[in-house]
Amino acid sequence: MITPQGSLGTWNWKTIVGNMFPLLIVLTVIVLFAGVRLEEAEEMLTEFVILAVMVPTMVDMGGNLGAILSSRLSSRFHLGTTTLDPRDRVLWANVLAVLALAATIFTALAVGAFLLGQLLGSTLGLGTLLVISLTSGMLLAVIAIIFSFATTYASYRYGIDPDDTTIPVVTNVVDVFGMVIFLSVSALVLGV
Amino acid sequence: METRDVFWRIYRQSLPVLFVALLGGLFAGLVLEGLIESVERFPGLLVMVPVFLATRGNVYGALGGRIASGLHQGLISPRLERDDRLVNAVIASFVNGIGISIVIGVVTWLALFLLGWERALLVEFVLIMLIAGVLTSVVLIFGLLLLIFAGFKRGYDPDNLVGPIVTTLGDIFGMLFLLFSVSLVGVVL
Repeated sequence: MITPQGSLGTWNWKTIVGNMFPLLIVLTVIVLFAGVRLEEAEEMLTEFVILAVMVPTMVDMGGNLGAILSSRLSSRFHLGTTTLDPRDRVLWANVLAVLALAATIFTALAVGAFLLGQLLGSTLGLGTLLVISLTSGMLLAVIAIIFSFATTYASYRYGIDPDDTTIPVVTNVVDVFGMVIFLSVSALVLGV
Repeated sequence: METRDVFWRIYRQSLPVLFVALLGGLFAGLVLEGLIESVERFPGLLVMVPVFLATRGNVYGALGGRIASGLHQGLISPRLERDDRLVNAVIASFVNGIGISIVIGVVTWLALFLLGWERALLVEFVLIMLIAGVLTSVVLIFGLLLLIFAGFKRGYDPDNLVGPIVTTLGDIFGMLFLLFSVSLVGVVL
């Protein structure tokens, strides 16, 4: 690509990589904690196989919900339409929609895991899976919402393009929380 | 009631994609359950799994967010073309995605070393990450662009599509390529 740096502005690949790569390394170190936690929980996952099947969804859904919210927030910033005013009803509609989506999806996760569990010979009942899934899921949704607002606002204040920071930070922090919360809630409910 | 309209619009637009993401996640979970068996061959492998899966959110989620904002602002058009902005965004994602995969292999090995836990060889971790990283980036970058463009042309707000598309593709292909890479390195080394 022989293009003058200036004409592309924040779309120049060297600018994007220069802005993002240091952040990516920091995020890698953060998420490593989730990995260490997963490695530690290997025994519980071998005993209750259905928990391993739930792990990716449990970890991702928080990130998904956070990404839906922060992507909307950062587009609003780009278009210049947002101030973080607690009386802004549209913002509340965003938050409530995310919570409603979480309740729906984590109920579905428990049902899906229960059905797959029947095939894998899992002994955990639907009630137990619902408690694990909804408790960890709703906690996770709240954390995702808080981090979406905090990071979008912070990157806007410090003049960093929210697209380069918000979504990564939200997904990673929520990934770690998702893993830790899910494994802890499971251990608590199952008495392991 | 503007508020109620906004609520239902987000809920209705997001729910179908989230359900697809749920199916992708459950599929990835089944693959993860299979991967746990490979831990004996490569001790410490599980530490890399969340970090590797998180990369897709970091690199390709950022690409998706950038494309979504670009579409909203009319800076790019919803086509795979040799547009300077699009090409630069794609190159950046390849560099970031493949570069960070190598870093993950090194950092994981270092963490296990510092913890004094049993671990596979450094070169094994790096090779597993490199192979899985290259394959995943190709599928994710082009898959993401095609799906966002198709959704945008049908009138979907790209903001609601990015997250779930990235995690679904990332889960399915990330885990499959990781399993493939683990088997390949297990055979070759």
